[in-house]
Amino acid sequence: MELGPILSTLRRHKITAFLLVAEIALTCAIVCNAVFLISQRLERMDMPSGVAENQLVMVQVANIAPTEDAKARTAEDLAALRRIPGVKDAALVSQVPFTNSSSNTSIKLSLNQKLPTLNATQYMGENMIQTFGSQLVAGRDFRPDEYMDYDAVLKDLDLVRKQTSSVIITKALAERLWPGESALGKKLYFADVGVRVVGVVKDLVRPSLFLGDDAAQWSMMFPLRMNGNNANRFVLRVDPTQRHQVLEAAAKKLRELDPHRIILGKKTFDEIRSDFFRNDRAMAGTLVGVIIALLTVTALGIVGLASFWVAQRRRTIGVRRALGATQSNILRYFQTENFLLATIGIALGMALAWGINLFLMQHYELPRLPWIYLPVGAVALWLIGQLAVLGPALRASRVPPVVATRSV
Amino acid sequence: MLKMTHLSKVYRTEVVETYALRDFNIDVKEGEFVAVTGPSGSGKTTFLTIAGLLETFTGGEYLLDGVDVSGLNDNARSKIRNEKIGFIFQAFNLIPDLNVFDNVEVPLRYRGMKAAERKQRIMDALERVGLASRLKHYPAELSGGQQQRVAIARALAGSPRLLLADEPTGNLDTQMARGVMELLEDIHREGATIVMVTHDPELAARAQRNVHIIDGQEVDIAEDPRFHAEHAASSHV
Repeated sequence: MELGPILSTLRRHKITAFLLVAEIALTCAIVCNAVFLISQRLERMDMPSGVAENQLVMVQVANIAPTEDAKARTAEDLAALRRIPGVKDAALVSQVPFTNSSSNTSIKLSLNQKLPTLNATQYMGENMIQTFGSQLVAGRDFRPDEYMDYDAVLKDLDLVRKQTSSVIITKALAERLWPGESALGKKLYFADVGVRVVGVVKDLVRPSLFLGDDAAQWSMMFPLRMNGNNANRFVLRVDPTQRHQVLEAAAKKLRELDPHRIILGKKTFDEIRSDFFRNDRAMAGTLVGVIIALLTVTALGIVGLASFWVAQRRRTIGVRRALGATQSNILRYFQTENFLLATIGIALGMALAWGINLFLMQHYELPRLPWIYLPVGAVALWLIGQLAVLGPALRASRVPPVVATRSV
Repeated sequence: MLKMTHLSKVYRTEVVETYALRDFNIDVKEGEFVAVTGPSGSGKTTFLTIAGLLETFTGGEYLLDGVDVSGLNDNARSKIRNEKIGFIFQAFNLIPDLNVFDNVEVPLRYRGMKAAERKQRIMDALERVGLASRLKHYPAELSGGQQQRVAIARALAGSPRLLLADEPTGNLDTQMARGVMELLEDIHREGATIVMVTHDPELAARAQRNVHIIDGQEVDIAEDPRFHAEHAASSHV
């Protein structure tokens, strides 16, 4: 190893060496943070929905005017949808995960509590657990006799007050409301209306994450029967291989049953998730672009500087060859030199990455950069450096020793 | 020590072949101090680059220290250059970014020598050329004569079997040239084999033996008419 002579040489070329080190440091710092941000976006995009995603499709409709016999018409719609080949179950629900439009309510744990404990989403509809494919981890599904018509409850809240109604909540909500305790049998309140927890599902994400990702799974299911006047999302659980055919058939059937009905949209759940995380995907893509651009610019900088140094040192390379350096000695010299510069740059870059992260934490509520991202940036820069310098280093190694005897 | 037999070096282009050396013969014995002389373009430098394994030759045979070097690969040639040959160049060829100590150390590093031994050899070589007090100086901080002494120290540090000097005083003034020449003579007296390429008859006269090259061939100075023609021409200048 020629560390001493290399360092000695670099000391004589401080400005160019400093510029390259600074470029590497900046790239390392930005790459570390950008990779972290990308991983956060990817993690967010992978957020569990709590539904059988590969089996769900949704048809959203709109009625031009309220229907007189909405309850009967909805029953007819659902029966017709269930008869479509490939359909396993169907439900008309108030809302669907990841569709952005959400209905939420504040929850209290006792009647005399002044301020609500938290805000959670309320899913309403008949047969939701089976249709969504949600996974019950405690308790039970609603019994048929627990269902009430949503319209009737809206007209007379005493219907709920008179008999203690049931609710199924998510595990995340249960743990938030009663940490370390079983939620089954416990009561929660909306204004002066109390409901009792009869079941807990593993996950059921909110349609909208307006309260942040930490509250993403704070959801409840109510045994309220919806109809075409108060809900417009038909959810179908289908054979995964027939999702698109079923979607077409379902839309066609719903139009047949009510020609005045407008089909607002029909989507598989994959499409719903994809639409919901479009911004995250775009951000991740942009950051990937930034990383590629930065690494490319850095690599070009290294290639440029190494090429300049090879051209500038052609004579001394020839002298080294004349004095006994093999081609691999010369190759190793330039690679070691780059490794040293990259290492100094990476060390500074790691400190800078930490600093940038602190800034982002303070101003953009980002979490602390896990230390594992620092070696990721370091390895990337070392590899880029070694690859970038390889071309010029190979050119240097091919300088013939006879160059030492030439006068220019 | 150095024996070339019917050696030739041809530079070929698409339209012309140029013989830099043609049927060239030389035999330098161990411990000899030989001056290779000749006019510009005669092939002196080509001879030196081939002798120093800096370039390959086209035909003939070259034995260096008894080893036929014609079939050696680049690595083997580098190893021989490093271990058996010491170079002294006209332009000194010190590495400007390294100080005196590091410059003398360059060939020793390629030999994989331990640091302590390297240091000992460097100090001995610099003592030998009278520059032990200039270890931390950079080439630009030294006079031409001092730079050439550092180059000689670099050549001596590896204890080579053969010293090849290419116009070693060509870039020096008379006083510095005299000092460097005296140093080479001292080194020779201590047993070194030296082959020096020069066009300076005065320097050549200080060697034990002269080999004259004209048009890429060794010539007998006494008999070759080309030498007399060249000599006459240079006398009129």
